[in-house]
Amino acid sequence: MSFPELKERHAAATATVNSLRERLKQRRQQLLDTDVANYTRTQGRTAVNFSSTDLVCCRTLQGHTGKVYSLDWTSERNRIVSASQDGRLIIWNALTSQKTHAIKLPCAWVMTCAFAPNGHSISCGGLDSACSIFNLNSQVDRDGNIPVSQVLMGHKGYVSSCQYFPDRESHLVTSSGDQTCVLWDVTTGQRISIFGGEFPSGHTSDVLSVSVSSSNSNMFVSGSCDATARLWDARIASRAIRTYNGHQGDVNTVKFFPDGQRFGTGSDDGMCRLFDMRTGHLLQVYAQQHNNNEPDFPMVTSIAFSISGRLLFAGYSNGDCYVWDTLLAEVVLNLGKLQSSHEGRISCLGLSDDGSALCTGSWDKNLKIWAFGGLRKVI
Amino acid sequence: MTWIGLPAPPSQLNSSPVGVFPSLPPSHSGVPSTSPPRSLLVGPGWGGPPFAASHSCLPSSAETEAEVEASGYSFAAVYDGPPLPYSLPRALPIDVECIPFAALAPVTAGPVSLPVVDPLPAPKKPTPILSSASPTSVIGNHAAVAAAPDSDTLGSDGSREILSSETADVSGTVGFSDELGGAHDRLSTESPLSSHASTFRSCASEIEEDDESSDTPDRRATIVTFQESGQSNYSTSPAVGATPVANSEGLRIKKGACYCCLRGNRFTEKESCLACGAKYCGRCVLTAMGMGSMPEGRKCISCIGSPILESNRERLGKSSRLLKRLLSDLEIELLMEAEKNCESNQLRPEDIRVNGKSLNLEEMFLLQSCPCPPPKLKPGYYWYDKLSGYWGKEGHKPNSIITAHLNVGGHLKVNASKGNTGIQINGREITKVEMKMLKLSGVPCAGNPHYWLSADGTYMEEGQKNVKGKIWGKRHMKLLFPLLSLPFPSKNSKCCEEVNNFMKRPLPDNLNKKAIQKLLLIGSDGSGATTVFKQAKLFYGLSFSEKECQDIKIMIQTSIYRDLALLLECREWFEEEILTERRGNMQFDSSGDETDFSLVPQLKSFADWLLKVIASGKFEAIFPASSREYATLVRELWKDSAIQATYKRRSELQLLPAIRSYFLERVIDISRDNYEPSNVDIINADGINCSNGIASTELQLPCTGSSIDDHEQLQTISRYQLIRGPYKGTGENCKWLDMFEDARMVIFCIALTDYDEYYKDTSDAVINKMIESRRLFESIVSHPTFEEKDFLLILSKFDLFEQKLDITPLSSCEWFDNFHPLVSRCPPQRNNTSCSGTREATKAEQAFHYVAKEFKTLFQSITGRKLYVTHANGLDSDSVNATLQYAREIIYWTEEWSLGGGNVESMYSTEPSSTSHSLLTEKNA
Repeated sequence: MSFPELKERHAAATATVNSLRERLKQRRQQLLDTDVANYTRTQGRTAVNFSSTDLVCCRTLQGHTGKVYSLDWTSERNRIVSASQDGRLIIWNALTSQKTHAIKLPCAWVMTCAFAPNGHSISCGGLDSACSIFNLNSQVDRDGNIPVSQVLMGHKGYVSSCQYFPDRESHLVTSSGDQTCVLWDVTTGQRISIFGGEFPSGHTSDVLSVSVSSSNSNMFVSGSCDATARLWDARIASRAIRTYNGHQGDVNTVKFFPDGQRFGTGSDDGMCRLFDMRTGHLLQVYAQQHNNNEPDFPMVTSIAFSISGRLLFAGYSNGDCYVWDTLLAEVVLNLGKLQSSHEGRISCLGLSDDGSALCTGSWDKNLKIWAFGGLRKVI
Repeated sequence: MTWIGLPAPPSQLNSSPVGVFPSLPPSHSGVPSTSPPRSLLVGPGWGGPPFAASHSCLPSSAETEAEVEASGYSFAAVYDGPPLPYSLPRALPIDVECIPFAALAPVTAGPVSLPVVDPLPAPKKPTPILSSASPTSVIGNHAAVAAAPDSDTLGSDGSREILSSETADVSGTVGFSDELGGAHDRLSTESPLSSHASTFRSCASEIEEDDESSDTPDRRATIVTFQESGQSNYSTSPAVGATPVANSEGLRIKKGACYCCLRGNRFTEKESCLACGAKYCGRCVLTAMGMGSMPEGRKCISCIGSPILESNRERLGKSSRLLKRLLSDLEIELLMEAEKNCESNQLRPEDIRVNGKSLNLEEMFLLQSCPCPPPKLKPGYYWYDKLSGYWGKEGHKPNSIITAHLNVGGHLKVNASKGNTGIQINGREITKVEMKMLKLSGVPCAGNPHYWLSADGTYMEEGQKNVKGKIWGKRHMKLLFPLLSLPFPSKNSKCCEEVNNFMKRPLPDNLNKKAIQKLLLIGSDGSGATTVFKQAKLFYGLSFSEKECQDIKIMIQTSIYRDLALLLECREWFEEEILTERRGNMQFDSSGDETDFSLVPQLKSFADWLLKVIASGKFEAIFPASSREYATLVRELWKDSAIQATYKRRSELQLLPAIRSYFLERVIDISRDNYEPSNVDIINADGINCSNGIASTELQLPCTGSSIDDHEQLQTISRYQLIRGPYKGTGENCKWLDMFEDARMVIFCIALTDYDEYYKDTSDAVINKMIESRRLFESIVSHPTFEEKDFLLILSKFDLFEQKLDITPLSSCEWFDNFHPLVSRCPPQRNNTSCSGTREATKAEQAFHYVAKEFKTLFQSITGRKLYVTHANGLDSDSVNATLQYAREIIYWTEEWSLGGGNVESMYSTEPSSTSHSLLTEKNA
């Protein structure tokens, strides 16, 4: 078969794929008899009602001297790890707002950090294209720094996000600017499998975020600069299970819904979306009305769901932090407009494991913890 | 897993000093007792009553967990924090059999005088249960321990209650369990250091608690202080105000003991907080002051944001022995810098009132940056005589003479120094001492005259124009003034003209940010940016670390295989070519398949394997690991005549970059196990590390400019950090560029040789590399992060460019098709004489100017600013150094320009460069 002939067939195949994709989209549209918001309304539900004093900032964690880029809560205790551009990871006791550890990083340009499920070790990654693991129990060296206990090398681009598998201490998934996600064995430092890359169903641009399902920990979802989110089975590296289209900008963040059957995405196009994992449907779009003449609409930087899933917290690049009602897609509160809110872009969000508090990290170098302050009764 | 008791004086159980919570409250007493659904944002931990969403249901595990948490303090907390460096006393299981019984005293005995224990004075607090029986005492103490977490925190609960009671009436109790969580947490998550201290304390208390009741307030006090630091953060505002001082005073801490661990005496070395004066020993200082990342220097965590004590102002920026022991030199340097320069440690301008008016920031700046600033400026009320420069505390005689004519504060009042002599100087009634001085210096004082005194010491009577004389003119006055403890003008104050034009003055230390200037080096793969980086690193005397060398060695050794594979592939082509040629001439030649390019069978199999590996894309999986195994084969392969024959024809190979032959020729050396890459090897190698990550190095660029005088030379020795950004992902949707917001300058590298090179992108379109570089340049320049940054464009590989121009004209790139080099007809000699040493620009230079101009126009059209361009040859260290000097000069020059406005232009030429670069770069400006 000659080269032009091959090329022709390739073009034909691409066209077929695109037409099939279009048909799929249409078919989906046909099958969609109602949307979540309408159904909820017919059921007589109204949006969660918040007054401005219901959610208050009850702690401000100060101590970073650079922009905060990432945070993570421990699973059992109220501890937070935060990563900042000052080249440090700080571990906070969220209740007392005290620092329990400060880890100086060999590479200051850190983008992500995560607690291991046992709360004893921490992983972080950034522009050094490596994921470093710190064991909090290890002896500090002469300068009072905790030494790196393991470096996961192998990515060919920056490490944008990392997360441990909740039920497996030694397994960590990272996403990277080299268009791949990698599953690591932390104890040996070896790559178990690589998702994407040379395989055709992988991401076609930098992968920015990754989230592991809490109910079925073999599943994880990744969001990328190619404006898609992809669902992967950790056991099958060769192909993505499903690709979720819909966003018009880079997907900055993905987060599983608490029940593990849905996931939310946040994107540079200023919208959040809720996808159903099994049917592949787009369930809900969370978009603020903004006029198109204004080019500087804020981008979604990070999202988090409340434990029940009724609320979606979304941080935006202009310092807003909306609380969405997930069912009705209405904004119930804007944390950015409250008193004592952040002064810079909200770069990361995280809900504590018991759902009692929300932590936000910002480019104004601070982290804030938000919880209910009023005399709020059960809705 | 260890179980650690959390003992505390049991006596606190029922009679807490605060008395808010006399007994342990039931869990979540503020909420319905049926398992509270904590579905949304709920929890006892955050000082609010829980609530739930209608459709949520609580996982049962969370519920039990809550219960466990609530009842957890009844016994002990599971300790799974960091390992402890000492062994713990273990609670042994009690063997009931072994409990010694007191045998009954034999009745037969007569009246024996039994030792009688005098009753202790009635204890104020109930004594612990079972504190006497020896084996059970551990348990007994554990029961006592039960109260520890909450009783520890009782001290702070009072304030907590006040804080939270505004919002919710039930929050008291909820807050209580919150405290509990906090206490649990605190124990287990502290750094080894502090947990060491606290657990040690608890062990000790087990033994001592009975007979050392006098010590308990102290012990409690510690815990309160410890909690204090967290407590103050409960308030939502970061500024804590004066509370830390009050708190530390309210505690009774043993004199000289550490405020955190309560140990040590006045002789132990301690560090004190600048704001509240709390002293910490070496073990606790890092914990109490923020784990080494002290954003405002030596301050307790709770004091961050609050102003320092005035008595500590002298200590600002002066490190102590204790810190030197704990931190590395660099860290201390940064810390002290932060301490000195951070905003909340500065004198607050509103605290200083001059002539009855509080200063603002600008006035404060003016006051501190003038040639004769007031010595030891502290908050307070001052008067300032603008005409003469007299400066003093309100109600006192002048204290010093500072620079006159500063626009600071309000108008001088008559009674500013509370004088009663009737004589006025510049509208201020002077004091008796001053009058004495006037008399001694021969100024007539009869009749309560009013004088005008100017800064140079001349005085005149009010309403008259003629100068009467000079106060400070006579020689003996110099001796006299100190006698009367009056100020005498210092020499500096004479140059008091135009002091308000403070732009010209050097900035005071705390405002002059001498932090590292970051230079961000960006360039696509093959742009020479990495070479520039490595060259810079080597030039400034920094060698590569062992690990980097190792990385580079592996990279070189691996890349050799790639190059060999390329050669082998070409060998096949050549062999094929010759064979087909032969087949064409078959009829009269039958010499067989032997050609110059045939391999020996043994090597042939290796070659086939290598090619197969590359073709299948598994190269990276195999290679860095097994490059050693095949080293001998590589050497044989290289010696093989077929390969040598192919190598000789390398000029025909488009794929083999010229630089690769440098390594190929030394393949024998390189493949050795003990091969150590030399500096030249390192510069010639492709990357810095295997992962294509970021690399940075710190440089101290010395000042070379001769036009700069000594004083400024001191200023300009600053540190630079050169950062080589990641190679990949520098596209338009680049996510990491905003991390370099603080970069001082962006250095962008483009290889000049790109103009006739092409590559295929993913859609198989052939793209000129120069056009691609332009696209990248545009996207970086227009990135919002770099809106106000200076850009320096390095056009690298100038040497190769020179060679290439003779073969392919520059206009072969569509962007440059307008380039028509001028061929000078003038003989070179004439040129030399007429243009003061400027020689005729060569063809390459003209081409460079043209490319530079194109980029400048592009940059101007995007940003409206000026682009700096230079050329470099990465392999030549001098050229790289000159480039860095140029960058330094640009930074220096733009800083001067922005500070001095137009003033500087008269002193310096408007062009930043005084080196040969100006010749090349500014012609096209």
